[in-house]
Amino acid sequence: MPFCKECKKFFPIKGDPSNGDCVERVVDPRQAFYKAKPAVAEKDASSCSSFEKK
Amino acid sequence: MAKAAVDNNIKELEKKQQWWWAAEKKRSKRLDYLRKAMWKKGAIGGIYPAGLQVDLEQGILHTQAGRAMEMAPDPWVVKYAKIFAHYLDNKTIFITDNSQLVGYVGSLPHTINWNPTVATILNAEVITDTTALPEPLDESLKVINDVIAYWSQKADADKLIPVADISDVTKILSGTIGWGVPMPRGGYSGKDYEFIMTGKRGFADVIAELDEKIDKADAQAHEPIANLEQMPLYNKMLNWEGMKITLEACIRHGQRFARLARIIAENFETDNKRKEELLQIASCCERVPAQTPRTLQESLQYDLFIQLFSRAEAIEGAWPSRPDYYHGPYYDKDVNIDKRITKEEALDLVGEFLIRAAEVSQYKPKWLREGLQGIEGTWVWTIGGVNQHGDDACNDMTIALLQAARLVRVSNPTFGFRWHPRVKEEVLRECFECIRQGLGYPSMRNDPLLIANSLHWHKHPIEEARTWVHQACMSPCPTTKRGFQSMRMANATANCAKIIEYVFTSGFDPVVQMQIGAETPDCATFTSYDQVYDAWLLQMKTIFSTLVRIVNYSRFVAQIYTPRPFLSGISERSVESGQDVNDPSISQGNSWITAFTWVENIDSLAAIKKLVFDEKKYTMAQLKQAITDDWQGHEEMRLDFVRNAPKWGNDDDYVDSIMLKCLRDCAAFSHKLQDPMGNTWPILPENVSGNIHYANVVGALPSGRRRGDALYDGGISPGPGLDKKGPTAVLKSCSKIDHITDGRAFLLNQRLSPTQLAGEKGFPLWKAYMETWYNLGLDHIQFNCVSDETLRSAQREPEKYQEVIVRVAGYSAHFVDISRKTQDNIIQRTVQGLVA
Ligand code: SF4
Repeated sequence: MPFCKECKKFFPIKGDPSNGDCVERVVDPRQAFYKAKPAVAEKDASSCSSFEKK
Repeated sequence: MAKAAVDNNIKELEKKQQWWWAAEKKRSKRLDYLRKAMWKKGAIGGIYPAGLQVDLEQGILHTQAGRAMEMAPDPWVVKYAKIFAHYLDNKTIFITDNSQLVGYVGSLPHTINWNPTVATILNAEVITDTTALPEPLDESLKVINDVIAYWSQKADADKLIPVADISDVTKILSGTIGWGVPMPRGGYSGKDYEFIMTGKRGFADVIAELDEKIDKADAQAHEPIANLEQMPLYNKMLNWEGMKITLEACIRHGQRFARLARIIAENFETDNKRKEELLQIASCCERVPAQTPRTLQESLQYDLFIQLFSRAEAIEGAWPSRPDYYHGPYYDKDVNIDKRITKEEALDLVGEFLIRAAEVSQYKPKWLREGLQGIEGTWVWTIGGVNQHGDDACNDMTIALLQAARLVRVSNPTFGFRWHPRVKEEVLRECFECIRQGLGYPSMRNDPLLIANSLHWHKHPIEEARTWVHQACMSPCPTTKRGFQSMRMANATANCAKIIEYVFTSGFDPVVQMQIGAETPDCATFTSYDQVYDAWLLQMKTIFSTLVRIVNYSRFVAQIYTPRPFLSGISERSVESGQDVNDPSISQGNSWITAFTWVENIDSLAAIKKLVFDEKKYTMAQLKQAITDDWQGHEEMRLDFVRNAPKWGNDDDYVDSIMLKCLRDCAAFSHKLQDPMGNTWPILPENVSGNIHYANVVGALPSGRRRGDALYDGGISPGPGLDKKGPTAVLKSCSKIDHITDGRAFLLNQRLSPTQLAGEKGFPLWKAYMETWYNLGLDHIQFNCVSDETLRSAQREPEKYQEVIVRVAGYSAHFVDISRKTQDNIIQRTVQGLVA
């Protein structure tokens, strides 16, 4: 079972590696940006369609 | 293209007055990218533009947090603070390429933020208007249904409406006499900038003050001997705790941006210059909002955060602020003293600040979107004016804002400029350039007069009155501890044309088939003008009372039902007292009744007086019949009322004296009406685009108007095309009004010819006109300066004129984003020729 911590988009928080940010690059019809959502290292990533193995 | 060629090209475009194309060439690459990256959010004809999506994230996160705390013993203020914190901790954040400022009210750039905790009637619209829902629709509908079901009976309006006077609620919700709804977390929210924006404290400092308060109160509350002083402490401690929870969440939110900026810089970005910028953003968000800003970038970021956090807590339809006053010292330090950044770099920051504000969008019901055509809210930023000692407060940031506005050409925010006799010519020229270049702003406000007006109506001490900002489009409000108004509920906005209409229907509204006004006698029996006027007076008092009563009620109970822990946490009066910011006992009060569609009353009364009672050409029974028939079958008579009755705005004492009598009777009544702070309710004639919104709601009027015809464009502006005696006659009519004692402020729209203002002669001509305006004692004036030719071309080929901006009423909008009816109404306004 893959976990968020194994994903390329997961960036652990310094000093609190069990939590992190899930960071993705997005290009919409008007602008390009990076977005982030909180993520948990040990979270089951098997149903995440954006998972990318590190 | 070589620089010289570009410069020539710009000159050519400016000569042809194609300002929007010239701006595109003049601005930096960064600003050009950010301006074009912006998603326009203003609804067109009440419909959100294609590509935008209602953001479900706040609804999901709020519902999640609400459910998790269902069984928790916390009182509502603490629960709400935790719901707010959960949202800021978990919402999606993003950083746009090339940006230097971060933060948005929704999860993604193209989203419209939806806060489900305000009203189920609003939530119901989200589900019925599927045009802007994210795909797949089935999934969105499932989520929305779940969110709505959870917040039903818990949302503010759901809690307030059952305990309010149901008759008043029904009349207001009928959409005939008032605009907006009486919700304490849905309106125009002022800020205590003197507490939070003067560099004396950041959020961490406030938290330290709160900790001290809580510790002290806790010790007192647990004194072994019972005493009555302990009683209020329990509530205060809860309020302080709520404030603390929200402020801590805001600091963490800033840190999330800092982390993201570092992650991008260290893992993705290859361009060294951009890497540096990202690290700069990281350092900025590590600093603010926790601590006080040190630089212009930090100061702008701090302000932006405050605005966004406040909008995470409430739906805010206005943006009261004074960016030159509060950011000016940082501009001066960075650009002039430390020379950290160049003027051009500062302009980039200021331009981006305008763009960041322009993109903010919160979901509103369709009728509200129709009234605010092309924009998201009335964000009139205040610039210029005097400081608390009465000295000129203009600074280099004032100039930078005016210059940046011409580069980015957003239609919202706009500026209101506080004019006083000591403003330097250099600053006035910048204002003039914005007007000449067709932005429609800044509107010009008479600073000394409006300060005197604040003293008269609301008894603010003069040093506080001098801090004033536009609370919405027009009304001044201080930015001080007691003086700032935490919430102005928009529904104290009267559709005044109903006053004269109800004289003819004895208060029965024919459109919604309801008795709304007073049951005045049948006007067909009136044999004197005085009887007409008495009926008018009673209708005015009845309508104003209905609107004011419910706002007063909502304000009384706001602290119980709809606390605002974040806004309280950045307000000295709440941090000090432990009371919610909306608690009337700690506020001075700054209420006003916005008077939409006001001048119709004056022209109608003048027509009745002249044609029915002076000249006896018609009886009241005949007039009543014609009005009931919507003038159909009475065209000759209608034209008589249009052409042969005197009209406001032509320096004609016959009609002008009626204006004064109406205003003065309203003013006397305003002193009797009291707000919960014990202060007055003066009227403020202005329109947003209510003249179009109400066109089908207001029946035929004695001015000769038929139902469906656009109403006048508002305030004390004469009817479009009815001011036949030139610009000075308009000013003279308006100057008969006492702009201090007759009301809170008076909007005046004027159209000027771009050809006349072109070249070197333009500025002195305009300045002389403005001096006349100032000397005649008017408080407001705003200009449209786009030719009929351009506007008609924009109607024919809108795709070529996407960037043409016009002044609609108390706000500006892109011409292509407003309805055809509003476009025609603007073209109809008289273009005034100025006399040298
Ligand atoms: S949520 Fe999905 S994309 Fe994000 S870190 Fe986890 S697995 Fe990766």
